[in-house]
Amino acid sequence: MSYSVPGLWADRRVVFDPGTNLLVSGPSVDAEATLLDVLADGSPGESTVVITTNRPTDWVVSEFHHRESDPTTGLGVVDATGQEPPADGEVPVERLGSPGDLTGISLEFAKLVKRFEQAGAGTRIRVGVASVSTLLMYSEVRTVFRFLHVFTSRIQSAGLFGVFALDPGMHDDQTVNTVRAIFDAEARVGDGPVTLGGSGFREE
Amino acid sequence: MPLASTSWIKSGNHIPEPVEPIDMDETGRATVLVVEDEAPLVDIYARWLEADHRVRTAQNGEVALERLDESVDVVLLDRLMPGMSGDEVLEAMEDRGLNPRVAMVTAVEPDFDIVRMGFDDYLTKPIDREELLTTVDRLLSRTSFADLEREYYALVEKQAALQSAKSAEELDRSEEYADLRRRIETLKGELDAVMPELDDGDFVAMVRDIEADTDGGDTRDAEADERGDGGGADRS
Repeated sequence: MSYSVPGLWADRRVVFDPGTNLLVSGPSVDAEATLLDVLADGSPGESTVVITTNRPTDWVVSEFHHRESDPTTGLGVVDATGQEPPADGEVPVERLGSPGDLTGISLEFAKLVKRFEQAGAGTRIRVGVASVSTLLMYSEVRTVFRFLHVFTSRIQSAGLFGVFALDPGMHDDQTVNTVRAIFDAEARVGDGPVTLGGSGFREE
Repeated sequence: MPLASTSWIKSGNHIPEPVEPIDMDETGRATVLVVEDEAPLVDIYARWLEADHRVRTAQNGEVALERLDESVDVVLLDRLMPGMSGDEVLEAMEDRGLNPRVAMVTAVEPDFDIVRMGFDDYLTKPIDREELLTTVDRLLSRTSFADLEREYYALVEKQAALQSAKSAEELDRSEEYADLRRRIETLKGELDAVMPELDDGDFVAMVRDIEADTDGGDTRDAEADERGDGGGADRS
Protein backbone atom coordinates (compact mmCIF):
# COMPACT_ATOMS: atom_id res chain seq x y z
CA MET A 1 0.00 0.00 0.00
CA SER A 2 1.24 3.45 -0.92
CA TYR A 3 1.77 6.49 1.28
CA SER A 4 -0.63 9.31 0.56
CA VAL A 5 0.48 12.92 1.07
CA PRO A 6 -2.47 15.19 0.28
CA GLY A 7 -0.89 18.39 1.57
CA LEU A 8 2.51 18.40 -0.11
CA TRP A 9 1.94 19.85 -3.53
CA ALA A 10 -0.61 22.65 -3.77
CA ASP A 11 -4.05 21.11 -4.11
CA ARG A 12 -2.83 17.98 -5.84
CA ARG A 13 -2.78 14.65 -4.03
CA VAL A 14 0.60 12.93 -4.18
CA VAL A 15 0.99 9.23 -3.47
CA PHE A 16 4.40 7.70 -2.77
CA ASP A 17 5.25 4.07 -3.52
CA PRO A 18 6.32 1.89 -0.61
CA GLY A 19 10.08 2.02 -0.18
CA THR A 20 10.46 5.53 -1.61
CA ASN A 21 12.95 7.94 -0.04
CA LEU A 22 12.09 11.64 -0.36
CA LEU A 23 14.54 14.48 0.19
CA VAL A 24 12.96 17.74 1.33
CA SER A 25 15.45 20.50 0.55
CA GLY A 26 15.21 24.16 1.45
CA PRO A 27 15.90 26.59 4.29
CA SER A 28 15.83 24.63 7.58
CA VAL A 29 12.58 26.06 8.91
CA ASP A 30 10.69 25.40 5.65
CA ALA A 31 12.23 21.97 5.09
CA GLU A 32 11.40 20.86 8.63
CA ALA A 33 7.85 22.20 8.38
CA THR A 34 7.27 20.32 5.11
CA LEU A 35 8.81 17.17 6.54
CA LEU A 36 6.37 17.31 9.47
CA ASP A 37 3.45 17.97 7.08
CA VAL A 38 4.36 14.84 5.15
CA LEU A 39 4.74 12.73 8.29
CA ALA A 40 1.56 14.01 9.94
CA ASP A 41 -0.44 13.18 6.79
CA GLY A 42 -0.28 9.50 7.77
CA SER A 43 -3.34 7.30 7.36
CA PRO A 44 -4.78 5.01 10.04
CA GLY A 45 -2.68 1.86 10.33
CA GLU A 46 0.55 3.70 9.64
CA SER A 47 3.23 4.37 12.23
CA THR A 48 5.75 7.21 12.27
CA VAL A 49 9.31 7.37 13.48
CA VAL A 50 10.93 10.80 13.76
CA ILE A 51 14.68 11.06 14.17
CA THR A 52 15.28 14.53 15.52
CA THR A 53 18.71 16.10 15.80
CA ASN A 54 18.10 19.69 16.87
CA ARG A 55 14.47 20.08 17.95
CA PRO A 56 13.53 18.31 21.19
CA THR A 57 10.86 15.64 21.40
CA ASP A 58 8.23 17.97 22.97
CA TRP A 59 8.53 20.23 19.96
CA VAL A 60 7.99 17.33 17.56
CA VAL A 61 4.97 16.15 19.57
CA SER A 62 3.44 19.64 19.67
CA GLU A 63 3.97 20.02 15.91
CA PHE A 64 1.95 16.84 15.41
CA HIS A 65 -0.82 18.34 17.58
CA HIS A 66 -0.75 21.54 15.50
CA ARG A 67 -1.31 19.46 12.42
CA GLU A 68 -4.27 17.78 14.08
CA SER A 69 -2.49 14.46 14.04
CA ASP A 70 -2.69 12.49 17.28
CA PRO A 71 0.90 11.68 18.24
CA THR A 72 -0.17 9.02 20.71
CA THR A 73 -1.29 6.71 17.93
CA GLY A 74 1.86 5.26 16.45
CA LEU A 75 4.50 7.97 16.80
CA GLY A 76 7.95 7.10 18.10
CA VAL A 77 10.88 9.49 18.42
CA VAL A 78 14.62 8.96 18.30
CA ASP A 79 15.86 12.06 20.09
CA ALA A 80 19.52 12.69 19.25
CA THR A 81 19.53 16.27 20.53
CA GLY A 82 21.18 15.34 23.82
CA GLN A 83 18.57 17.38 25.68
CA GLU A 84 16.69 16.34 28.79
CA PRO A 85 13.46 14.41 28.24
CA PRO A 86 10.07 15.95 29.04
CA ALA A 87 8.62 14.96 32.41
CA ASP A 88 5.61 13.03 31.11
CA GLY A 89 6.25 11.46 27.76
CA GLU A 90 3.22 11.08 25.51
CA VAL A 91 5.12 8.96 23.01
CA PRO A 92 7.86 6.33 23.09
CA VAL A 93 11.24 8.07 22.96
CA GLU A 94 14.70 6.58 22.51
CA ARG A 95 17.43 8.97 23.53
CA LEU A 96 20.98 9.59 22.32
CA GLY A 97 23.75 11.89 23.44
CA SER A 98 24.68 13.32 20.06
CA PRO A 99 23.67 13.49 16.38
CA GLY A 100 27.16 12.16 15.67
CA ASP A 101 26.23 8.74 17.03
CA LEU A 102 24.99 7.13 13.81
CA THR A 103 25.18 3.60 15.20
CA GLY A 104 23.03 4.73 18.13
CA ILE A 105 20.51 6.31 15.77
CA SER A 106 20.27 3.04 13.82
CA LEU A 107 20.01 0.99 16.99
CA GLU A 108 17.22 3.10 18.48
CA PHE A 109 15.42 3.20 15.14
CA ALA A 110 15.56 -0.61 14.98
CA LYS A 111 14.21 -0.84 18.53
CA LEU A 112 11.25 1.42 17.75
CA VAL A 113 10.47 -0.54 14.58
CA LYS A 114 10.62 -3.75 16.60
CA ARG A 115 8.22 -2.25 19.12
CA PHE A 116 5.79 -1.31 16.32
CA GLU A 117 6.17 -4.78 14.81
CA GLN A 118 5.28 -6.40 18.11
CA ALA A 119 2.18 -4.18 18.24
CA GLY A 120 1.30 -5.33 14.72
CA ALA A 121 2.04 -1.92 13.17
CA GLY A 122 5.52 -2.42 11.80
CA THR A 123 4.96 -2.78 8.07
CA ARG A 124 3.81 0.72 7.16
CA ILE A 125 6.04 3.32 8.71
CA ARG A 126 6.85 6.91 7.73
CA VAL A 127 10.41 7.64 8.78
CA GLY A 128 11.46 11.27 9.16
CA VAL A 129 15.02 12.53 9.61
CA ALA A 130 15.35 16.19 10.66
CA SER A 131 17.85 16.89 9.64
CA VAL A 132 20.59 15.60 7.36
CA SER A 133 22.25 19.01 7.66
CA THR A 134 22.90 18.40 11.36
CA LEU A 135 24.34 14.95 10.65
CA LEU A 136 26.74 16.59 8.20
CA MET A 137 27.94 18.93 10.95
CA TYR A 138 28.89 16.01 13.19
CA SER A 139 30.34 13.44 10.76
CA GLU A 140 32.28 13.42 7.51
CA VAL A 141 30.36 13.60 4.22
CA ARG A 142 31.58 10.15 3.27
CA THR A 143 30.31 8.66 6.54
CA VAL A 144 26.95 10.45 6.34
CA PHE A 145 26.52 9.43 2.71
CA ARG A 146 27.20 5.78 3.46
CA PHE A 147 24.95 5.88 6.52
CA LEU A 148 22.12 7.44 4.49
CA HIS A 149 22.61 4.95 1.72
CA VAL A 150 22.33 1.94 4.04
CA PHE A 151 19.43 3.56 5.88
CA THR A 152 17.48 4.38 2.72
CA SER A 153 18.21 0.87 1.40
CA ARG A 154 16.72 -0.57 4.57
CA ILE A 155 13.66 1.70 4.17
CA GLN A 156 13.37 0.61 0.55
CA SER A 157 13.61 -3.12 1.21
CA ALA A 158 11.10 -2.95 4.09
CA GLY A 159 8.60 -0.92 2.02
CA LEU A 160 8.65 2.03 4.42
CA PHE A 161 8.56 5.71 3.41
CA GLY A 162 11.60 7.85 4.20
CA VAL A 163 11.52 11.65 4.43
CA PHE A 164 14.79 13.53 4.97
CA ALA A 165 15.28 17.29 5.48
CA LEU A 166 18.33 19.11 4.11
CA ASP A 167 19.25 22.78 4.03
CA PRO A 168 21.45 23.17 0.91
CA GLY A 169 22.45 26.66 2.02
CA MET A 170 24.48 25.15 4.85
CA HIS A 171 26.76 23.04 2.65
CA ASP A 172 28.87 23.32 -0.49
CA ASP A 173 27.52 22.21 -3.89
CA GLN A 174 29.62 19.08 -3.99
CA THR A 175 28.19 17.87 -0.66
CA VAL A 176 24.60 18.69 -1.64
CA ASN A 177 24.93 16.90 -4.99
CA THR A 178 26.48 13.86 -3.33
CA VAL A 179 23.72 13.55 -0.73
CA ARG A 180 21.02 14.29 -3.31
CA ALA A 181 22.03 11.24 -5.38
CA ILE A 182 20.81 8.85 -2.70
CA PHE A 183 17.16 9.84 -2.93
CA ASP A 184 14.43 8.74 -5.32
CA ALA A 185 12.53 12.01 -5.14
CA GLU A 186 13.20 15.57 -4.04
CA ALA A 187 10.79 18.27 -2.91
CA ARG A 188 12.31 21.74 -3.07
CA VAL A 189 10.69 24.13 -0.64
CA GLY A 190 11.17 27.77 0.30
CA ASP A 191 9.94 30.81 -1.57
CA GLY A 192 7.04 29.98 -3.84
CA PRO A 193 5.37 26.66 -4.51
CA VAL A 194 6.95 23.29 -3.76
CA THR A 195 8.61 21.64 -6.76
CA LEU A 196 8.67 17.88 -6.75
CA GLY A 197 10.99 15.83 -8.97
CA GLY A 198 12.40 12.35 -9.34
CA SER A 199 10.57 9.03 -9.13
CA GLY A 200 8.61 6.84 -6.72
CA PHE A 201 5.45 8.94 -6.64
CA ARG A 202 2.36 9.75 -8.67
CA GLU A 203 -0.46 12.24 -8.62
CA GLU A 204 -3.99 11.17 -7.91
CA MET B 1 22.16 -25.47 26.40
CA PRO B 2 19.53 -27.31 24.40
CA LEU B 3 17.88 -30.28 26.02
CA ALA B 4 18.64 -32.45 23.04
CA SER B 5 22.38 -32.15 23.53
CA THR B 6 22.50 -34.94 26.12
CA SER B 7 21.28 -37.55 23.69
CA TRP B 8 23.57 -36.26 20.96
CA ILE B 9 26.56 -36.79 23.21
CA LYS B 10 25.54 -40.42 23.64
CA SER B 11 25.01 -41.11 19.96
CA GLY B 12 28.02 -39.38 18.43
CA ASN B 13 30.94 -38.70 20.73
CA HIS B 14 33.90 -38.27 18.42
CA ILE B 15 35.63 -34.99 17.89
CA PRO B 16 35.62 -34.22 14.17
CA GLU B 17 38.96 -33.85 12.43
CA PRO B 18 39.74 -30.21 11.92
CA VAL B 19 39.55 -29.10 8.33
CA GLU B 20 42.96 -28.27 6.93
CA PRO B 21 43.48 -24.53 7.49
CA ILE B 22 44.80 -24.11 3.96
CA ASP B 23 42.64 -23.10 1.02
CA MET B 24 41.80 -26.44 -0.57
CA ASP B 25 40.03 -25.18 -3.65
CA GLU B 26 39.52 -22.05 -5.69
CA THR B 27 35.83 -22.47 -6.24
CA GLY B 28 35.03 -19.27 -4.40
CA ARG B 29 33.55 -20.96 -1.40
CA ALA B 30 33.54 -19.01 1.83
CA THR B 31 35.26 -20.27 4.96
CA VAL B 32 33.27 -20.68 8.17
CA LEU B 33 34.87 -21.31 11.55
CA VAL B 34 32.59 -23.11 14.02
CA VAL B 35 33.51 -22.54 17.67
CA GLU B 36 31.45 -24.66 20.04
CA ASP B 37 32.46 -26.69 23.09
CA GLU B 38 29.95 -29.49 22.59
CA ALA B 39 31.42 -31.97 20.13
CA PRO B 40 28.10 -33.32 18.84
CA LEU B 41 26.95 -29.81 17.99
CA VAL B 42 30.21 -29.02 16.20
CA ASP B 43 29.67 -32.17 14.19
CA ILE B 44 26.15 -31.25 13.19
CA TYR B 45 26.87 -27.62 12.31
CA ALA B 46 29.89 -28.70 10.26
CA ARG B 47 27.84 -31.25 8.35
CA TRP B 48 25.15 -28.67 7.53
CA LEU B 49 27.68 -26.08 6.40
CA GLU B 50 29.97 -28.35 4.40
CA ALA B 51 27.72 -28.54 1.36
CA ASP B 52 28.23 -24.86 0.56
CA HIS B 53 31.24 -23.71 2.50
CA ARG B 54 34.70 -24.65 3.67
CA VAL B 55 34.45 -25.42 7.37
CA ARG B 56 36.94 -25.22 10.21
CA THR B 57 36.09 -26.21 13.76
CA ALA B 58 37.31 -25.51 17.27
CA GLN B 59 36.02 -26.69 20.63
CA ASN B 60 37.40 -23.86 22.70
CA GLY B 61 38.54 -20.28 22.36
CA GLU B 62 42.26 -20.99 22.34
CA VAL B 63 41.98 -23.44 19.45
CA ALA B 64 39.62 -21.05 17.66
CA LEU B 65 42.30 -18.37 17.68
CA GLU B 66 44.83 -20.84 16.26
CA ARG B 67 42.53 -21.74 13.40
CA LEU B 68 41.61 -18.17 12.63
CA ASP B 69 43.32 -16.23 9.87
CA GLU B 70 42.45 -13.79 7.07
CA SER B 71 40.74 -16.43 4.99
CA VAL B 72 37.96 -17.01 7.55
CA ASP B 73 34.85 -15.13 6.43
CA VAL B 74 32.36 -16.05 9.13
CA VAL B 75 32.79 -17.24 12.69
CA LEU B 76 30.01 -19.04 14.50
CA LEU B 77 30.91 -18.37 18.12
CA ASP B 78 29.36 -19.99 21.16
CA ARG B 79 29.11 -17.37 23.85
CA LEU B 80 29.34 -19.64 26.89
CA MET B 81 32.29 -22.00 26.78
CA PRO B 82 34.64 -23.36 29.44
CA GLY B 83 37.90 -21.40 29.37
CA MET B 84 37.73 -18.36 27.08
CA SER B 85 34.22 -17.01 26.63
CA GLY B 86 32.89 -15.93 23.24
CA ASP B 87 33.30 -12.29 24.26
CA GLU B 88 36.97 -12.87 25.06
CA VAL B 89 37.56 -14.66 21.76
CA LEU B 90 35.97 -11.74 19.94
CA GLU B 91 38.22 -9.29 21.73
CA ALA B 92 41.33 -11.35 20.97
CA MET B 93 40.34 -11.49 17.29
CA GLU B 94 40.04 -7.72 17.17
CA ASP B 95 43.40 -7.34 18.91
CA ARG B 96 44.94 -9.39 16.11
CA GLY B 97 43.36 -7.11 13.54
CA LEU B 98 41.13 -9.83 12.17
CA ASN B 99 37.63 -8.82 11.24
CA PRO B 100 35.50 -11.73 10.10
CA ARG B 101 31.71 -11.60 10.45
CA VAL B 102 30.82 -13.07 13.82
CA ALA B 103 27.50 -14.67 14.72
CA MET B 104 27.11 -15.23 18.42
CA VAL B 105 25.45 -18.47 19.50
CA THR B 106 23.52 -17.97 22.68
CA ALA B 107 20.95 -19.61 24.92
CA VAL B 108 18.91 -16.42 25.40
CA GLU B 109 17.76 -14.01 22.71
CA PRO B 110 19.83 -10.83 23.06
CA ASP B 111 18.96 -7.26 22.11
CA PHE B 112 20.32 -5.32 19.12
CA ASP B 113 22.87 -4.04 21.66
CA ILE B 114 25.19 -6.99 20.93
CA VAL B 115 26.10 -5.03 17.81
CA ARG B 116 27.81 -2.52 20.06
CA MET B 117 29.94 -5.35 21.46
CA GLY B 118 31.25 -6.24 18.02
CA PHE B 119 28.98 -9.16 17.14
CA ASP B 120 27.32 -9.08 13.73
CA ASP B 121 24.39 -11.36 14.40
CA TYR B 122 23.18 -14.00 16.80
CA LEU B 123 21.64 -17.45 16.77
CA THR B 124 19.58 -18.78 19.65
CA LYS B 125 20.01 -22.40 20.66
CA PRO B 126 18.79 -24.83 19.59
CA ILE B 127 19.72 -23.86 16.05
CA ASP B 128 18.11 -25.55 13.09
CA ARG B 129 19.74 -26.15 9.74
CA GLU B 130 17.90 -23.53 7.74
CA GLU B 131 18.46 -20.86 10.36
CA LEU B 132 22.19 -21.54 10.39
CA LEU B 133 22.59 -21.50 6.62
CA THR B 134 20.46 -18.37 6.22
CA THR B 135 22.47 -16.51 8.84
CA VAL B 136 25.79 -17.41 7.24
CA ASP B 137 24.47 -16.36 3.82
CA ARG B 138 23.19 -13.09 5.20
CA LEU B 139 26.53 -12.29 6.78
CA LEU B 140 28.28 -13.03 3.50
CA SER B 141 25.88 -10.87 1.52
CA ARG B 142 26.46 -8.08 3.99
CA THR B 143 30.13 -8.23 3.10
CA SER B 144 29.38 -7.97 -0.60
CA PHE B 145 26.97 -5.10 0.08
CA ALA B 146 29.63 -3.21 2.05
CA ASP B 147 32.14 -3.63 -0.77
CA LEU B 148 29.68 -2.47 -3.44
CA GLU B 149 28.53 0.37 -1.24
CA ARG B 150 32.05 1.73 -0.82
CA GLU B 151 32.52 1.67 -4.60
CA TYR B 152 29.13 3.39 -4.98
CA TYR B 153 30.24 6.32 -2.85
CA ALA B 154 33.36 6.83 -4.93
CA LEU B 155 31.29 7.02 -8.13
CA VAL B 156 28.62 9.31 -6.69
CA GLU B 157 31.30 11.61 -5.32
CA LYS B 158 32.81 11.85 -8.80
CA GLN B 159 29.38 12.53 -10.29
CA ALA B 160 28.75 15.29 -7.75
CA ALA B 161 32.11 16.88 -8.56
CA LEU B 162 31.17 17.01 -12.26
CA GLN B 163 27.73 18.39 -11.45
CA SER B 164 29.28 21.16 -9.37
CA ALA B 165 31.91 22.06 -11.95
CA LYS B 166 29.93 21.91 -15.21
CA SER B 167 26.75 23.42 -16.59
CA ALA B 168 23.76 21.24 -17.53
CA GLU B 169 24.66 21.62 -21.24
CA GLU B 170 28.25 20.57 -20.65
CA LEU B 171 27.08 17.55 -18.68
CA ASP B 172 24.74 16.54 -21.51
CA ARG B 173 27.66 16.51 -23.93
CA SER B 174 30.11 14.77 -21.58
CA GLU B 175 30.89 11.12 -22.40
CA GLU B 176 32.57 10.73 -19.05
CA TYR B 177 29.43 11.88 -17.26
CA ALA B 178 27.16 9.57 -19.27
CA ASP B 179 29.47 6.65 -18.56
CA LEU B 180 29.50 7.50 -14.85
CA ARG B 181 25.69 7.61 -14.78
CA ARG B 182 25.53 4.16 -16.36
CA ARG B 183 28.01 2.70 -13.91
CA ILE B 184 26.09 4.17 -10.97
CA GLU B 185 22.83 2.72 -12.30
CA THR B 186 24.38 -0.73 -12.69
CA LEU B 187 25.88 -0.63 -9.23
CA LYS B 188 22.57 0.54 -7.74
CA GLY B 189 20.90 -2.49 -9.29
CA GLU B 190 23.50 -4.80 -7.77
CA LEU B 191 23.09 -3.16 -4.37
CA ASP B 192 19.30 -3.47 -4.52
CA ALA B 193 19.67 -7.15 -5.34
CA VAL B 194 21.71 -7.79 -2.18
CA MET B 195 19.82 -5.59 0.27
CA PRO B 196 16.47 -7.38 0.64
CA GLU B 197 18.18 -10.23 2.47
CA LEU B 198 19.31 -7.92 5.25
CA ASP B 199 17.28 -7.28 8.39
CA ASP B 200 17.39 -4.57 11.07
CA GLY B 201 20.18 -6.32 12.97
CA ASP B 202 22.29 -6.30 9.80
CA PHE B 203 21.44 -2.66 9.22
CA VAL B 204 22.67 -1.59 12.65
CA ALA B 205 25.87 -3.62 12.31
CA MET B 206 26.52 -2.11 8.88
CA VAL B 207 26.20 1.42 10.21
CA ARG B 208 28.57 0.49 13.04
CA ASP B 209 31.09 -0.73 10.44
CA ILE B 210 30.70 2.45 8.39
CA GLU B 211 31.39 4.58 11.45
CA ALA B 212 34.47 2.51 12.28
CA ASP B 213 35.72 2.80 8.69
CA THR B 214 36.65 6.49 8.76
CA ASP B 215 40.22 6.20 7.56
CA GLY B 216 39.24 5.05 4.08
CA GLY B 217 39.19 1.33 4.80
CA ASP B 218 42.27 0.30 2.82
CA THR B 219 42.02 -3.46 3.28
CA ARG B 220 38.36 -3.70 2.35
CA ASP B 221 38.96 -1.43 -0.66
CA ALA B 222 41.51 -3.91 -1.94
CA GLU B 223 38.97 -6.67 -1.53
CA ALA B 224 36.38 -4.64 -3.38
CA ASP B 225 38.75 -4.43 -6.32
CA GLU B 226 39.04 -8.20 -6.42
CA ARG B 227 35.31 -8.64 -6.28
CA GLY B 228 33.59 -10.11 -9.30
CA ASP B 229 34.72 -13.73 -9.55
CA GLY B 230 33.30 -14.99 -6.28
CA GLY B 231 30.28 -12.73 -5.97
CA GLY B 232 31.88 -11.17 -2.91
CA ALA B 233 31.52 -14.36 -0.91
CA ASP B 234 35.12 -15.34 -1.42
CA ARG B 235 37.39 -13.04 0.44
CA SER B 236 40.11 -15.61 0.97
